[in-house]
Amino acid sequence: MPMGHTATAEAGSGGLTATEHRLANGLRVVLSEDHLTPVAAVCLWYDVGSRHEVEGRTGLAHLFEHLMFQGSAQVKDNGHFELVQGAGGSLNGTTSFERTNYFETMPTHQLELALWLEADRMGSLLTALDDESMENQRNVVKNERRQRYDNVPYGTAFERLFALAYPEGHPYHHTPIGSMADLDAATLEDARAFFRTYYAPNNAVISVVGDIDPEQTLAWIEKYFGSIPGHDGKQPPRDGTLPDIIGEELRELVEAEVPSRALMAGYRLPQDGTRACDAADVALTILGGGESSRLYNRLVRRDRTAVAAGFGLLRLAGAPSIGWLDVKTSHDAEVPTIEAAVDEELARFAEEGPTDEEMERAQAQLEREWLDRLGTVAGRADELCKYAVLFGDPQLALSAVGRVLAVTADEVKEVAKARLRPDNRAVLVYEPIAPEEAPDAPEIDVHEAAEIEVQEEEAAK
Amino acid sequence: MTEQLATMEFHPQPQAGDAKPWAFPAPDRGTLPNGLTVLRCHRPGQQIVAVEINLEAPLDAEPEGLDGVATIMARAFTEGTDKHSAEEFAAELERCGATLDAHADHPGVRVALEVPVSRLPKGLALLADALRAPAFDDSEIKRLVRNRLDEIPHEMANPARRAAKELSRQLFPADVRMSRPRQGTEDTVERIDSTAVRAFYDAHVRPATATVVIVGDLDGTDVDALLADTLGEWTGDTAQPRPAAPITADDTGRVVIVDRPGAVQTQLLIGRVGPDRHDRVWPAQVLGSYCLGGTLTSRLDRVLREEKGYTYGVRSFAQVLRSSADGSGASMLAISGSVDTPNTGPALDDLWTVLRTLAAEGLTDPERDVAVQNLVGVAPLRYETAAAVAGTLADQVEQHLPDDFQGELYKRLAETGTVEATAAAVSAFPQDRLVTVLVGDAAEIAEPVKALGIGEVTVVTA
Repeated sequence: MPMGHTATAEAGSGGLTATEHRLANGLRVVLSEDHLTPVAAVCLWYDVGSRHEVEGRTGLAHLFEHLMFQGSAQVKDNGHFELVQGAGGSLNGTTSFERTNYFETMPTHQLELALWLEADRMGSLLTALDDESMENQRNVVKNERRQRYDNVPYGTAFERLFALAYPEGHPYHHTPIGSMADLDAATLEDARAFFRTYYAPNNAVISVVGDIDPEQTLAWIEKYFGSIPGHDGKQPPRDGTLPDIIGEELRELVEAEVPSRALMAGYRLPQDGTRACDAADVALTILGGGESSRLYNRLVRRDRTAVAAGFGLLRLAGAPSIGWLDVKTSHDAEVPTIEAAVDEELARFAEEGPTDEEMERAQAQLEREWLDRLGTVAGRADELCKYAVLFGDPQLALSAVGRVLAVTADEVKEVAKARLRPDNRAVLVYEPIAPEEAPDAPEIDVHEAAEIEVQEEEAAK
Repeated sequence: MTEQLATMEFHPQPQAGDAKPWAFPAPDRGTLPNGLTVLRCHRPGQQIVAVEINLEAPLDAEPEGLDGVATIMARAFTEGTDKHSAEEFAAELERCGATLDAHADHPGVRVALEVPVSRLPKGLALLADALRAPAFDDSEIKRLVRNRLDEIPHEMANPARRAAKELSRQLFPADVRMSRPRQGTEDTVERIDSTAVRAFYDAHVRPATATVVIVGDLDGTDVDALLADTLGEWTGDTAQPRPAAPITADDTGRVVIVDRPGAVQTQLLIGRVGPDRHDRVWPAQVLGSYCLGGTLTSRLDRVLREEKGYTYGVRSFAQVLRSSADGSGASMLAISGSVDTPNTGPALDDLWTVLRTLAAEGLTDPERDVAVQNLVGVAPLRYETAAAVAGTLADQVEQHLPDDFQGELYKRLAETGTVEATAAAVSAFPQDRLVTVLVGDAAEIAEPVKALGIGEVTVVTA
């Protein structure tokens, strides 16, 4: 197999490069060398997420992700974890709306083991999958749901906001964790069918980043993955297209046992991969990222009506992205007061646009976030897979920071004016009630809630 | 199993290649003319530089009735200086793509700066201003106090945070600082004003008792000149070393239920106090604790998660509370996780069975081997970033450990046998000397838990 073309390092990529390859069975391969530390990251993105799920089977993509750790033809129950950890590696898997990823970071000399393990489950998971694993992991996932969503204050906010912002029947109407009823209803046959449909080499991208010999690595990938048959069982996800603007304010009042009032909102924003989405990222950073943002200054420092106020962007490629506003009130401050202040700040921003200083600050913050993400081999491997799967070109990962830095003040103003308006949002208001009348208990963090992990790694101290 | 074997070609499990040498980085240690200790460490390729400051301002130095003043001081460092207002300071930091976080804990206050190396001079200048000339403006302190008061109900509503508070209250005598929340209670925080913050700063913050750790790609950066112009400008007197109060704890086996009617899960926190990193048993305790509950394939999760499905995961760990070379330090040894409400009794029963089996039969050699391979093997992964290296170096300073402690720990882990690891795990988690805190629905869980005989059960209101 000839080696792929080595791209020239892009400006802002920190001199990083990546090469691309494709096996005969359709598996796409991305390799990136970096010999600073004797470690190598393996990352696999399967192009399947909760948006591919059907009615009555929400949560199946994530439950299935758990099953991928329950053994395959040559790997016993939990053997994946045991072998990787025993080799001094770390590993996990996560499920989001648009993809399921599996990753290992290994000491360099153990890289081949990770490739062997990933290939074994891609090619032979169903020979090991049984009722016992299914029942066990169903209970584990239900407890994950309770721990992360149902048993913490505001825990179901993310789920409620998506249900509100994306219409009934839309592939993003439900979140990856799924409902308890659907988790209960999933059968072993559902899991098998899911694997046969979505887990194929031609529906995946593997990236290997770090202290690697690219030729040797590619030879190993060919050896272990090359014989896994590709297939076209996959149906495309339901169409996620929506109008640019919601057209009305959608609203839900949640009376629950929570420690304080809260105002949360999701604004419909441009899809990831567009220049307007990068502009929206800059806009939300100026408005609500960090402690010098407009909303933080207004609500937390000056009005002192909020204990926390921020805006985050959840980038989505297959549907409109969502700008997530989260304000927790201070003491007895009222939501309408805060809402009026938010609206005033958003309207002024849409009218005046950002100052030069604000552009500089926001872009410096976003640049640092990118440096952080690309600063580890695992972070780089994940970004390369993301751009390969969602946009067809891994090289875009290395130029992403440059694109955010190229956004102009006019573009920021334009997206704010077009999108950050009351008739383009779904609003969630939390009103606390006393414990005895609480219908159910419901944390919130866009990034945490958007991705579900099979376990959280504990670092050894 | 009905599925026929897939058609792929199988290969035997590959063998590892030759391991490449890796060692925990050794910092250069020095002192500035103002008495500030400096540890620096060049990590090639790490464009985000991590700077960690240790201030010898421990929580037990907080004045009576002012718990939380160290926290408010730490937060106020970023709320204005002699050059910038609070808003301007935040803006200047973000303009150089930096983050600056400060928090107070039992051993002292930590301040962490992360900044791209290209903007290190500006970042260090801001950090130096924050430490050298914090404004402690009345109105900003009032806001931070209000803000802190607003946070407390959020913490009390979070099962994991609520459990942690209750365990500290149970373990330590009420007059000992460790028994009370690190960031204060409503009663104490309310009393904090700018005068109190200034007084705490004057008494406990000075370069002579502080350390700065700088880690990152420092090639092409004149660190000496940079430090002289920034943290070198910070002045202060010298101080007598503070004698640390001895740590005593009551680990009589008992159960405390923090009642949350209707909770769908029970948060477990089962703990006691044990040896810290100065104790010779530390490596064996790390190893034993990993085998018990370090990961998804450890003993606890093998049963509670992977066999029974009672939980998303249960972990055992040791967290250093305070440490010093004279051996007066201690760590919190704990098992933590959450289980669904109906299975709380059965889950605790299984958990205790795991502890009893460990005590009766010990760990196995393969278990010990895998644990050592993981704990030692992950070091190059774990210390890939500057922030990770800086954090560990600063922890070592805070705990009065030598700079090569982590590197030596890896060697000692590799030399620790199964018998020692078993002994350490059993004495870390003795089945009859554990305080169990359960945050959950008392009406549902109290009776099943009483039946287990793991100690007297009391219920407190949330």
